[in-house]
Amino acid sequence: MLSSMLVSGLITGTFYALMALGLTMIFGVLRIVNFAHGEFYMIGGFAYVLLYHNLGVPIAVALPAAVLAGGTLGWIVEKLLIRPIYAEFGGRQQGRDEYAIIVTFALSILLIAAMTKIVGPWSLQGPRLIDGPPLLLAGVRVSPHQIAALGIALAFLFGTLYLLNYSLWGRQIRAVAQNRSAAAVMGVDVGKVSTIVFATAGGLAALAGALLSNMISPSPDVGAFPAIKSYVIIVLGGLGSPLGALIGGLLLGVIESLGAIYISFSYRDTYGLALLVLVLLLRPNGLFGETRREV
Amino acid sequence: MASRVSSLRRPAAPTSRTQLLVALAILAALAPLPSLGLEIYWQGVVITSLYYALLASNWNLLAGYTGLFSLAPAGFAMLGAYVTALLWTYAGVEPWLGIPAGAIVCAIVGLVIGVLTLRLSGPYLALTTLALAEILRVIVLNSFDITRGEIGLQVPALFAHQSSYYYMFLVAVGGFLIGLHWLLGQPCGLYLRAIRNDETGARARGVRTVFWKVFAFSVSSGLSGLAGALFAHYVIIVSPSIGHLLVTGLVMSMVVLGGMGTLLGPLVGALLVNVSSEYLRAAGDYQHIVFPIVVILFARFCREGLVGRAAMIFNARVGTQARSGAKATEVLASP
Repeated sequence: MLSSMLVSGLITGTFYALMALGLTMIFGVLRIVNFAHGEFYMIGGFAYVLLYHNLGVPIAVALPAAVLAGGTLGWIVEKLLIRPIYAEFGGRQQGRDEYAIIVTFALSILLIAAMTKIVGPWSLQGPRLIDGPPLLLAGVRVSPHQIAALGIALAFLFGTLYLLNYSLWGRQIRAVAQNRSAAAVMGVDVGKVSTIVFATAGGLAALAGALLSNMISPSPDVGAFPAIKSYVIIVLGGLGSPLGALIGGLLLGVIESLGAIYISFSYRDTYGLALLVLVLLLRPNGLFGETRREV
Repeated sequence: MASRVSSLRRPAAPTSRTQLLVALAILAALAPLPSLGLEIYWQGVVITSLYYALLASNWNLLAGYTGLFSLAPAGFAMLGAYVTALLWTYAGVEPWLGIPAGAIVCAIVGLVIGVLTLRLSGPYLALTTLALAEILRVIVLNSFDITRGEIGLQVPALFAHQSSYYYMFLVAVGGFLIGLHWLLGQPCGLYLRAIRNDETGARARGVRTVFWKVFAFSVSSGLSGLAGALFAHYVIIVSPSIGHLLVTGLVMSMVVLGGMGTLLGPLVGALLVNVSSEYLRAAGDYQHIVFPIVVILFARFCREGLVGRAAMIFNARVGTQARSGAKATEVLASP
């Protein structure tokens, strides 16, 4: 019982981590929270489902297309809306925070309302990646679809972490996250890095939306809870820490699945808030957050 | 000489008195409308606008004056509404006790969230309030046995006639704006604005920044709860839709459109947004598409909002006269 709960929690947690990783990368590089992150997830889910059902696009094309849709949206959002943050506010954190919260929150509502206008308020179930009889994995019945989705999620998760740590691209992102102006002096194109990070985050969230569209059918407001969970995770893991997002995501998945069994199933979405309160009380910088000094 | 000393001690009134007077004039102009034969439907629209004006002014106290971003104005309104509804349903508590109880519960929740998040610098308040607002809604929706989920709870009406609610909300908004104007003139109002302008600087000058931020958040949460509880007894049915994030989005667009950090802005924004919502809703539910676009455009190109822009034009025009007057007193006051 316990081990099966752990396994199902870890599976859910992997998808949470996928969303939180992008969010924490955005925070690391731009020092802002993207309050439209759930809508990237929603766009990915819808792109996948609509391409498959309405246009008859095969899954092998629809899934990358969904990732591309989220990435493109992230790219556009950064170019149009986020760019003024470092052009106009420079080091003024207060003005930047105000602008970022207002603009991303408004964007989130805009995307939900626009999607409701386009496809209606209903939810549409996504197709399975693979069909087949369920398998037993450590006592949990898992469908081949879930295993395939998990595999793709893990590949993207560790692929992104690998690139962050070992590629030139990742080194530039980490450099900007550590010290924006020093990175710029060293010849890193900070504007381009920010665009890449936003597009990557959009793509990862869209991937999560597409992979989960069979289990959680996308509707225009489907992104609210995945987004809130990724906010909890990035605080838990430490704002701006990619490793923290991974561990935090898995931890939240496990805690929710244990809580669903031992406390109550219908309130499983609320355990995140309890966890958030605990983290803020006991370890406000998160598990892997750095204590920063103010100037 | 004496006037110079006092002007050093007490800086010029931080919110222009003109804005308060314009706001009160707008409310006074709205007051006779029901007796002049304003339709019941449009009375309802004005009442809702005034309810939104309360939430928006409250959010403006946080975002516009203190620089704190809560994403739970609607969440706290819902909490306040449910406190009075639950007290009435399960303990038979009358509204005149239930409404203040709603405000107090919200102020306490606000205090706890404030203490947890405002010690830290970073986006913790926005993250936590967003999570709180959505999770409160889930709790209400899932506790069907207690809250009857989406169907909602029935509460008693306060008055027999709609026009009585109309005057009640007029008085509430007027009272709130007068109170806010007074508060901003007090030392504590200066602390709040100092925190928004430069928190580190304010702390260096000895302002207890954490204390005043928690104070502002707790007061604002309590007042949002009060507004929600009053509104609950007007709509008679308390349902989770009061706390929807879309409502928070509307409140935000009212403040950004009217002008953040202006006394008059939220009232103007609430009337403009809510009345035009009526037409946009009739045209096919476009309000949640149009207003986010308006918010983004204003945040990008007109950050001072309509009232802020109007005040700038007004000041530029009267500025020359005022400056010559100021020079005269300076000459008189200088030794």
